[in-house]
Amino acid sequence: MKRILTLFITTTFIFACEPEIDDYEPSSGDADFSTYVALGNSLTAGVMNGELYLSGQQNSYPSILADKFANVGGGDFKQPLMKDDYVGNRLVLDSVHGCKDTTLAPAPAQENPDPQNFTDIAGQGPFNNMGVPGAKSFHLLTKGYGQANPYFGRFMSDANTTVLADAMKVNPTFFTMWIGNRDVLGYAMAGGEANSITEQQIYSGVLDSLLQKLTSEGAKGAIANIPDVTDIPFFNTIPYNALSLSQEEAGQLREAYQQYNQGAQAAGVDTLSFQEGANALVIEDNSAPYNEIGGMRQIKENELVLLDIPLDSVKCHGMGSEYPVPEEYVLDEEEISKISQAVNGYNQTITAMADQFNLAKVDMAATMKEAKESGLRYDGVGYTTEFISGKLFSLDGIHLTGQGYAIVANKFISAINAQYNAEIPTVSVTEYSGIQFP
Amino acid sequence: MRKTIFLFIVGILFGGMAKAGGFQVGLQGQRQTGMGLLGTAYLKGPSSVFYNPGAMSFQENRFSTSIGMSPIVSTVSFQYEEPSLYEAKTDNPVSLPFSFYGSGKITEKLSAGVGIYTPYGSSTVWGDDWRGRHVIQDISLMSIYVQPTLSYQISERFGFGVGFVYAYGQVELNKGFPLQNSEGEEGSINLDGNTSSFGFNAGFYAQPVDRMEIGVTYRSEVLMEVENGDAAFSVPTSLKESFPPENKFDAELPLPASVNLGASYRFTDKFKLGVDVNYVFWSSYESLDFDFEENTESLEDLSQPKNYENGFIYRIGGEYFVNEMWTFRAGFYYDSPVANDEYYAPETPDAVKLGYTGGLSFAPNENLSIDASILFVQGLERTADYKPENFGGTYKYNAIVPGLGINYHF
Repeated sequence: MKRILTLFITTTFIFACEPEIDDYEPSSGDADFSTYVALGNSLTAGVMNGELYLSGQQNSYPSILADKFANVGGGDFKQPLMKDDYVGNRLVLDSVHGCKDTTLAPAPAQENPDPQNFTDIAGQGPFNNMGVPGAKSFHLLTKGYGQANPYFGRFMSDANTTVLADAMKVNPTFFTMWIGNRDVLGYAMAGGEANSITEQQIYSGVLDSLLQKLTSEGAKGAIANIPDVTDIPFFNTIPYNALSLSQEEAGQLREAYQQYNQGAQAAGVDTLSFQEGANALVIEDNSAPYNEIGGMRQIKENELVLLDIPLDSVKCHGMGSEYPVPEEYVLDEEEISKISQAVNGYNQTITAMADQFNLAKVDMAATMKEAKESGLRYDGVGYTTEFISGKLFSLDGIHLTGQGYAIVANKFISAINAQYNAEIPTVSVTEYSGIQFP
Repeated sequence: MRKTIFLFIVGILFGGMAKAGGFQVGLQGQRQTGMGLLGTAYLKGPSSVFYNPGAMSFQENRFSTSIGMSPIVSTVSFQYEEPSLYEAKTDNPVSLPFSFYGSGKITEKLSAGVGIYTPYGSSTVWGDDWRGRHVIQDISLMSIYVQPTLSYQISERFGFGVGFVYAYGQVELNKGFPLQNSEGEEGSINLDGNTSSFGFNAGFYAQPVDRMEIGVTYRSEVLMEVENGDAAFSVPTSLKESFPPENKFDAELPLPASVNLGASYRFTDKFKLGVDVNYVFWSSYESLDFDFEENTESLEDLSQPKNYENGFIYRIGGEYFVNEMWTFRAGFYYDSPVANDEYYAPETPDAVKLGYTGGLSFAPNENLSIDASILFVQGLERTADYKPENFGGTYKYNAIVPGLGINYHF
């Protein structure tokens, strides 16, 4: 009887306790994460909602990564943090009064910039997050770049240093690199009208120099490739047929463009046509043969309208109908093809060099493609490249949300784990900041 | 010979791919709970109303009644899919399945009875902030069946009974909604509805030879159709128009049918042993869909695919009659999962569950007995995903269910 009672009490005790699952053990595998340095551009710096600011930097993917590296021997990770969020160009969602209606849209935050954000903090260095907003690949090797770019100027170790030289100051045992986006984005964001695409040869040379130096002391690392810029919301939000017309307006436009259409027929190109409903925007095109007939045409379905087009002008003041959309707001077929070509070239270089330097390769291009085509899903939350509702991109349509950066961090972790037989824990994406609605 | 037959039966019962689980609660009588929750062919008081209406007319007493309750204390531990350091544990409230039965003889051969019991339910609370909050924060499913029953003893050895089931059900769930306000706080959805429905419970019961009982029952599906449940959305102010705060929903939840087979044998005057097998038609639970009365561009209907599979539960249990005052019981059951590895939702712990039971009855006089039982449920560790939401990891369930009841007859 006593034995039965003992058995009963023991069993009760066991079942009253919570069930235990064996813990998993993080491991660094073949890599040494004790000193980690991140190189890159605004995406690496943690730019969000159009600006580099404190709470955005705290959600940068290198800082998220460093937090996880801490489980496998990672040490301190110092970012050149802004003092606060009031830097100048931060966007927030707000009621925006347009000429026709009031909508919830990105608008400059109503706040006074705090000039202290650009005071020199070099004395706090060296820094582990060497992401510099605006940096193209070759800028990382450009002496005195900090004098031209205040986002580097504020933490460069001296006036003639390079980003790479400052990165080497921490003696990295591990690095991540995501560079090249800006090499095409500058051109793309200007509608192909300003800012040139970095030539393939230069990109390859720069990348080789960067990786030679970074791995010179035996450091290991990971390198991410470049998403197709045309997958991102800045180029995919305003539809080509954003011109909405009433029957009457369509009639008036047909009449107004009679002369143009005669010229078009003579030149053997498409005439302008307008119907009630959605219409292809009229855009500026000064190439032949359009330069002969007024320097305009209707945009093609596969051409892209940029997010920064002044929509009020389209809706109420005749842009894209009575007069053409200026070229700087449009990426035409030829420009898109130049961008794709460059990105493909960069990505081939990245793949080859990841191989050559035995680095983990992070396929961000594939991730973004997947987000656009089928969407990503983490812990019950869906992410797409849709502007605002897609949750991946912040209000500028180019940089990511905190959750977007967490997804990037997870992609880095997966690639690093696979390359170095490591077991770095993944990130809980939904813990990070998203789009905030008033 | 006897041993061979027994092994043969065990072989059949454990042979196939076994599945059951889901949110079924087997606790419909203290005496049955004590012996692996079996009772299809095991005459054991008025709880026959539930376990086998066909056995009710075999009661020797003119009238008998029982009442009992079995509080469930359960926990599920969770470890996020590796590599991750994330762990969580449920904070489930104690749920309280209960049962009441009364049955009496109208004539020597005809009996009438009624049962009120709670055959399906679940209460899982993961908390508002856990990592799976956008899949589920907490859910409470509750059902109460009221079952008036008639049973007729066709011959000395054979009885049939059927009960009509009126079922009342309630479902409430909360889940996080991934829209942040300007403070970075997330929204949430609360869905709350109740409904009633009908079904039946029928059984054959026989004593083919002395000391032996066999039985088969069929409990029909009860389809719970919630109409006009309350759907409350808490979202940032600027999005209120897209998510009407006082929306309504319709939803459908099947409480599945089951076929139950059993046999028992009184080996000696002191010892009786029974086996049961339940086949539960969980495949009717294909998905849990919430159809909102008002949809907007941002608010689509919610659909959670379940794709459950039919399943078996195998039970074995017996009694040792010490003397007229004391009876001891013990039993075991094996209950395996009905959710497949790609549709394992954290709201319903589902795994191979092993139940170890014990119980006793104390009869201070010949009319009264006090019945106590204890059930330990050990869920085996299970690694599974809920693919539609890309959420998964390793789950482990356990529960301890003490029970107490009173049985009175004359």
